Amino acid sequence: MTKSLKESYDQRYDKVLLPIAANLENLLADHLKGRPHIDRIAVRAKSPKSFLTKALKRENGKLEYKDPLGEIQDQLGARVIVFYTSDVKPISRRVMKYFRHIEMLNKQPKSEAEFGYFGKHFILALPEDAIPKKVKLLDAPKVFELQVRTLYQHAWSEAEHDIGYKPARKLTKIEKRNFAFTAAQSWGADRIFQELHKGLKRRSG
Amino acid sequence: MGEGSSISFAKRPIRDSKSGRHSVAISRIHSYLIHPSKNEATSPLIGGISIPLNGKLFDLLAKIDKTALRECDIDIMFRPKPNGKQQNDSRDVLLAYLKTPSLPRGRAIAQLLQRVTTKRSGLGLLFLIVSQDQHGLRLLISRFPAETGVTAEERGQAIEVQFVEKVFMKNTHTYKSALFRCTSIQAGFWDGLVVDKQMIDTRGAADYWTREFLESDLKNTSAAGTKRVAVALQKALKDETDPAIQQELINASQLIINRHGQITSAKKIVQDLSLTSGAAMAIESAFVRPELYDSTFKFDRDEFKACLVFRSVQLDNGVMLTAENSSFNRVINVAQADTGKTRFTTEGNIVSEKLQKTR
Repeated sequence: MTKSLKESYDQRYDKVLLPIAANLENLLADHLKGRPHIDRIAVRAKSPKSFLTKALKRENGKLEYKDPLGEIQDQLGARVIVFYTSDVKPISRRVMKYFRHIEMLNKQPKSEAEFGYFGKHFILALPEDAIPKKVKLLDAPKVFELQVRTLYQHAWSEAEHDIGYKPARKLTKIEKRNFAFTAAQSWGADRIFQELHKGLKRRSG
Repeated sequence: MGEGSSISFAKRPIRDSKSGRHSVAISRIHSYLIHPSKNEATSPLIGGISIPLNGKLFDLLAKIDKTALRECDIDIMFRPKPNGKQQNDSRDVLLAYLKTPSLPRGRAIAQLLQRVTTKRSGLGLLFLIVSQDQHGLRLLISRFPAETGVTAEERGQAIEVQFVEKVFMKNTHTYKSALFRCTSIQAGFWDGLVVDKQMIDTRGAADYWTREFLESDLKNTSAAGTKRVAVALQKALKDETDPAIQQELINASQLIINRHGQITSAKKIVQDLSLTSGAAMAIESAFVRPELYDSTFKFDRDEFKACLVFRSVQLDNGVMLTAENSSFNRVINVAQADTGKTRFTTEGNIVSEKLQKTR
């Protein structure tokens, strides 16, 4: 099963996902054109290695996905990185103006006393405009994931993903606390920059 | 057929008349009588039946199922919960039925429809058809409205004539349908296709069918669909070399604005405006995919105006000036004349010149 799944995904990755990712990035950039404080817009096709890791994930001994090609929704993942926390809302509104969503979540730690990942996540219908003519509509994924987050949220999340997401061993208590500390620092930096931006904008306005 | 029966396909494969290959295998058909029940204190019980996979009724339904993909041409998408969670009650009920197609599970779908059916929509006969094609599982939901008719029975040399109110499918072209497809039950579906053949303008689909019963919206947002048409029109204008067609496209872009709020498609706009085949072809080929020419959306005038880069000014002396909006002020110099009127000046090489009866 793994081999055929790998083959199927490899083929999808090269022939379907990569060409769509390039088009989708252009389409997103076009829809967000003129919006201030966008650091970058990027779309990636999930790498075969990353896909297989997710596809073979088990929970209580059972495979989490019975039909990974049909079930995994972030085979195409887009990110819009903005400068300030106040930019997330207008960008999200703009996204919803042009894309139909089936999910929209504000990701944040469960408790107010915790610090960790913050970000706005969407699962959006993949527009046919992003699918090249040579790709059959039925071969393309139906949806893609879009994350909108600030530079600090992004920086923290990338480092956390690299160091903490799949560690070789269990994190110690102090390591966990260190992660929370860096998350709190990022949260604080976002907050201060937001205040500076708001204050300076008011004064210049 | 029990509650716990699982899907088994290849029971009644429908032969593709052109290729001779088996294309769609129908495994279950259930039917229910739907009474209007919206805002009613008590909801009538829903009678249902499993339709045998042979006979005249089956042949008629198989025909409807076979043409569903062509007939259902409006893309829809299920709505998430108001809190943004990826869950939709209508979708859940449909998928539960598709997983284990049984009379009780089908009745749950019928109940959803009954709950939103008004007296205006009236009595209806619902069919649920489960099938499989080369791409995976299919669920077709069709509702036929009740019509009236007269029956005549021969009694020797006399006849007995009766007026009947519960006649269905007298006209098999008047119905509402929704088609859902998925590669597997686990993957399910978040999008689907609908058609409302009861509406005079078949580009719409009654709110009660799409928004209320299926808890869905058009897959294209108004802004995305409108912008796509504006961009295609702009590209068609740029690529077109025939001045007559260019002029036709310019005129069309002015007329399109009146469609604000209408459920439409580029193809329908072209048909409604009776554009020439040349203009139609120019627009159709300007879309990045051919399917998008016929893609349904709700037209948004403001979005269209914001996207269309084309501006036309008509003067009271009969002159009409047209240029791309972004370059209009660059290529046409606008100044106030001493007379109080506006003076437009421009220069360039003549690429075409012709006499026309009309603008």
